[in-house]
Amino acid sequence: MYILAVHRLLNGLRRSLAMPSRNPRMAVVIGRLLAIAFLLCFGTGIYSHFLQDPLPWMVFPTRPVSLYQVSQGVHITAGILCFPLLFAKLYIVFPELFQTPPVRSFPHFLERASIALFVASSIVQIVIGLLNTYQWYALFPFPFRQTHYALSFVIIGSLAIHIAIKLDVIAKHWRKGAPIEPLVIDGPVDPTVPSAPGTLTSSPGRNAVIRAEGVTGRLFDWIDKTPPAEPRTSRRGFLTIVGIASAAVVALTAGQSFKLFDGVNAFGARKQGIGPNGLPINRTAAAAKVEAVASDPDWVLTVLNGTETKTFTRAQLLAMQQYTVELPISCVEGWSQMASWKGVRLGDLVDSVGASGGTAIKATSLEQNSSYAIMHMGPEYVRDDLTLVALELNGEVLDLDHGYPARMIAPGRPGVLQTKWLSSLEVLS
Amino acid sequence: MTAIRAWRIGLIALGLAFFVVGGITLLNDVNPARYLGIAIWFVGALVIHDGIISFVVFGANIVMRKTGGRLRIPLPALLIVQGALVVAGIMTLIVVPAALKKSIGTANPTLLPLDYGLHLLVFYGVLAGVTALALAVYGLLRRARRPTA
Repeated sequence: MYILAVHRLLNGLRRSLAMPSRNPRMAVVIGRLLAIAFLLCFGTGIYSHFLQDPLPWMVFPTRPVSLYQVSQGVHITAGILCFPLLFAKLYIVFPELFQTPPVRSFPHFLERASIALFVASSIVQIVIGLLNTYQWYALFPFPFRQTHYALSFVIIGSLAIHIAIKLDVIAKHWRKGAPIEPLVIDGPVDPTVPSAPGTLTSSPGRNAVIRAEGVTGRLFDWIDKTPPAEPRTSRRGFLTIVGIASAAVVALTAGQSFKLFDGVNAFGARKQGIGPNGLPINRTAAAAKVEAVASDPDWVLTVLNGTETKTFTRAQLLAMQQYTVELPISCVEGWSQMASWKGVRLGDLVDSVGASGGTAIKATSLEQNSSYAIMHMGPEYVRDDLTLVALELNGEVLDLDHGYPARMIAPGRPGVLQTKWLSSLEVLS
Repeated sequence: MTAIRAWRIGLIALGLAFFVVGGITLLNDVNPARYLGIAIWFVGALVIHDGIISFVVFGANIVMRKTGGRLRIPLPALLIVQGALVVAGIMTLIVVPAALKKSIGTANPTLLPLDYGLHLLVFYGVLAGVTALALAVYGLLRRARRPTA
């Protein structure tokens, strides 16, 4: 009896949720776009991960200089785009949540469990990603970076399995033209078929009609009398709405990463040009607790190569050959901005202590107790002519919050590796 | 073995391999004391989306179609209004946390520098204007198409 009631309830829900836009072709169309967005996020995320934690053999490209700016900008923007796309996809397949019987077999149980995992991890992933760009860490009862990284594998794994399970549907509806039938409803209910009230038959569907009484029955009855939507208009309307929502969220936030959209940046977590030296910051000198040591007039930059050691005051650094480069600050949080940096070539500094050829370095910040206080840099960056120990930013003395007295700036690296408040540079053998 | 079957097996194997990598990462890099927090987020995501948001959307859709039917509002006009509500809803979900976080306080003034609440209100206003314009254009097109009506 209870089983029958649940079956009736689920079937009623599925029938009520049926809409022309909820069909397999639409699921494939939106699913494809969502899969592309997920893969873009995954690829750019993996790139960012290995830039920060490289495997020993890894060498990274330094051109174009905006490589990381673009890759991480795409990461965050595609992540925001996932909001309308994921909602659209879940909207299309929502009736599937109420399929009955809920579990038909063990494989069916695995399929439903994998979808629950896929949906939950996708929602969690994009929400924590967005909240991380707002630096709202207090909401996370877990470490963001590690969790976000682990979940990315769960999501892409779930995506592969989901595609495998739905392969026949995807193949059938990949191109336009296959007959579009609404999502299948088990035990079809035909309300026009008359039946004796109160008599249960062997047909669950018929019983659903017979027992169309009580609160749920009346509710479904009320819903059933809703005027049906014309399929073609309804489908086109749905796609148009998804398109407009996607365009709106991208256009109004992408300005934090792409200058092209700066003029319409109404909702980005950062705004170009806002900050000391006209550039946003992530970690202030106060937050890093370096205000005193970084302002100390006796500050020197120590450069080491084995037993060879040299120290440079800021005046001595300024007396060396100065170079001006245009390089972006590109944060792992996705915001970025182009800036003009002036300072000493890192290559000249390591040469001054007798380093030769391709060489890796370890840079140490005045900052203590930060996972980024010590930074490793491979030879591809050390020997790049654009890599500077910067002393000036946008034509002004480097602000304390931007790493005064001296900071690293290299092409194609995330902001957390552009070490501020430099203390020492050590050539690694 | 059919091509589809081969693809299926390959994709499922790939998916399971990714699960293994994700699982190992979770085991190695995240303190087990934090697993409960992740689980709560997972369950919360399903409850909030499938249990609340989806039904609110469903209910709103039914009520609008009923009202539309009673007032003889044509479907495209209804879809324009529904579309505006969906766009406003999604933008609200993305922007309200920014406004809230800004009001709680940020690490420095360059983070969340904009007036998100005000911008959201302006956005609603512009959206309402565009919606009204779209309805007007649709009404004109409809009248032009059926001059006798």
